[in-house]
Amino acid sequence: MSDTHYPALSDIDAIQQAFESAGYICTTRIATVVRLAAALEKPVLIEGPPGVGKTELAKTCAMVVDRPLVRLQCYEGLDESKALYEWKYGKQLLYTQLLKEQLGDVLDGAKGLNESMSRLHEFGDVFYSEAFLESRPLLKAMEADNGGVLLIDEIDKADFEFESLLLEVLSDFQVSIPELGTIQAHSKPLVFLTSNDTRDLSDALKRRCLHLHIPFPSVELEARIVASRVPDLAQSMTDQLVRFVHAIRSLDLKKAPAISETVDWAKSLVLLHAKDLDGSLVRDTLNVLLKYEEDIQIAEGQLPKLMAAAAG
Amino acid sequence: MSVDPPHTARAAASSDQLLAFVQYLRGKKIPVSPADTLDAIEVAELVGYQNRSLLKNGLAAALAKSLHELSVFEAAFDDYFQPIPERPPAGGQSDVEPEGSLAEPPEQAPQIDPAAPGEDPLDGLRGNSLFDALESRDESTLSVAIETAAAEAKVEEISLFTQRGQYVRKILDALGDEALREAAIEFEQSEPAAFEAVQALREQLRERVRDRVERAYLIHASAATEDLLDESLSKLKLGNVDHSQMARLKRLMDRMARKLAARHGRRRRRYRRGKLHVGETVRRAIPTDGIPFHPRWRKIERKRPQIMAICDVSGSVAAYAKFLLMFLYAVQDVLPRTRSFAFSAALGEVSDLFATLPVEEAIERVNLKYGGATDYGRALQDFSELALAEVNSATTVIVLGDARNNQADPRLDLLAEIKARARQLIWLNPESTRLWGTGDSEMLLVKRHCHLAKECNNLNQLERIIDKLLSDKR
Repeated sequence: MSDTHYPALSDIDAIQQAFESAGYICTTRIATVVRLAAALEKPVLIEGPPGVGKTELAKTCAMVVDRPLVRLQCYEGLDESKALYEWKYGKQLLYTQLLKEQLGDVLDGAKGLNESMSRLHEFGDVFYSEAFLESRPLLKAMEADNGGVLLIDEIDKADFEFESLLLEVLSDFQVSIPELGTIQAHSKPLVFLTSNDTRDLSDALKRRCLHLHIPFPSVELEARIVASRVPDLAQSMTDQLVRFVHAIRSLDLKKAPAISETVDWAKSLVLLHAKDLDGSLVRDTLNVLLKYEEDIQIAEGQLPKLMAAAAG
Repeated sequence: MSVDPPHTARAAASSDQLLAFVQYLRGKKIPVSPADTLDAIEVAELVGYQNRSLLKNGLAAALAKSLHELSVFEAAFDDYFQPIPERPPAGGQSDVEPEGSLAEPPEQAPQIDPAAPGEDPLDGLRGNSLFDALESRDESTLSVAIETAAAEAKVEEISLFTQRGQYVRKILDALGDEALREAAIEFEQSEPAAFEAVQALREQLRERVRDRVERAYLIHASAATEDLLDESLSKLKLGNVDHSQMARLKRLMDRMARKLAARHGRRRRRYRRGKLHVGETVRRAIPTDGIPFHPRWRKIERKRPQIMAICDVSGSVAAYAKFLLMFLYAVQDVLPRTRSFAFSAALGEVSDLFATLPVEEAIERVNLKYGGATDYGRALQDFSELALAEVNSATTVIVLGDARNNQADPRLDLLAEIKARARQLIWLNPESTRLWGTGDSEMLLVKRHCHLAKECNNLNQLERIIDKLLSDKR
């Protein structure tokens, strides 16, 4: 078990504390998985509704271990030239043009085609060397000297083929480049993949990962999160607000408000110098919390009930 | 009876327990690969067996691969590793089990009265290793002994719930309960106190063995029984499925749908790049002196198949229509543009109902709205007016019905027209092939106008047809 790379992640309680002081309140489940990921050197696949802090977890983790974060945002059509590496075509071209004149010197005195060819072969792979290699995020993460945190965000948005491309990186921490050979990670990075579950990921990918599902937090946990993010808001107000949001989540909405929206709402209430959560205030600021007109209407219809829930 | 040192016995028992738990999970239809098992063992070594919630979280990360699996996993974990209930305060002074650790079921040993006067009749039994272990409540020796005896009795071969007693007997025999029983008989008349004590210990032993057997049943047999039920259900005529089986059937169907969606969703994404787009490639090569560094490819436009399902929802066929629609909407991910129509006398489009309501409720509504005496002629007429213009070479039309038209004109001309326009016309008939053409069935005529006419009345047939539908893509 090599805890040597990331000594900050060798104890579950310590992880929780470190994350908390970095502004990320996490459950024991999250801390356990982070601990296991560091010890077993396995990537973590994080799933859950949008806005529960999946991406934030990776960022905080990079902060806690004090290593660079390499982020790869996935989208449809993402391919190896954007994710792994690319040859610097322009540079290669420019150099061939510039070196044209040198060609005469190199071939000077060579007799016949065969000899010229063998001379050229001596310079063989000049144009396919590391100097012409443009590292993209995945390769960059492998090349980082002291490990790091690799975040592959929204993997479900990428094409299916891309998943297969990832397999080599995720299980062996290496990248194969036909012209150069295999590049092995100097020290293995911590890898986080996030998914919003818009499609099923392949079993092969799932098999290589530890799994973490982050649901919406409990009232207590969310209150702690809001309190740590928006310390200016009074405690009683925070509690009310979180209970209100939880009541809203139980409605049948197009998009339930996530933690980030709760935090935004809390921030706007601080800006408005609100002292108490009352009906008109809620009505005026509901658009911070809900992003669809229909949702706002549903919530307004249920307002008395929601307020009662907020009052506890 | 082999007795290992306690701690190695515990470690071995733990990892055996973990393997058995994996077996149990597989029984619950969570696919756990050998690699996952190895991960789980590594995780367990890392977090230890002492802290229950830690172990649960850790194992969940390695074994449960989706939200659905996570909920199954959590329930299974709680079932399997039941926390030890509080020990009775009497006599629980010696062993301090960490709370919530994974130990064998608790024993409720009434302390043998230590103040028995004079010579103890139980002395004759001391030296019997089973008796000693029971009396001193030597946890690890007992577990090991029971495991050994269970292995000897081949308890993992248990297949029926009613076999429990038989296996308990076998394990007790292997443990050497015989000697205790004889001693008890001996004491029964002469030494009532000793008799009580021995019987209490034996009862406690029996309790443990019973637990062990029940666990074996849960792990090894319940999965097999479930499989058997699933298998028979998928062959059962859907019209005969009763209410109590609905939940299981739905689960089964969901699983089939997931499997199909996974299999075919993948295929769809392949072959997206077409031929070289010469014009665009040349244009892009201008800045690089005509050297085509950035080739452009044409995209292949894949015609996604569209399904139009026309379902008879009259009494006799309604149940089947329900299942067809449920299945079609379960594979929505791969067949996104499914349109459904329901008829009995009149026909109407019900796609919206299915888009907005849960399937069961939608079916209820459909039945309510379009129920009545069947008229295929009118239904096809209505369909032609409603949607024939949109039937094209990418459309597969599925008709579900028994083709019993109460002697009215089935309008085969319309059917022929649909066939000519559509990529495929499939007729599914819940009646068995032998009944086709009997009585008022127009099936034999109808069959000629379809690309495919099939009997379809159970889940297996339904799955096969949808599978075929999905694989038939250009």
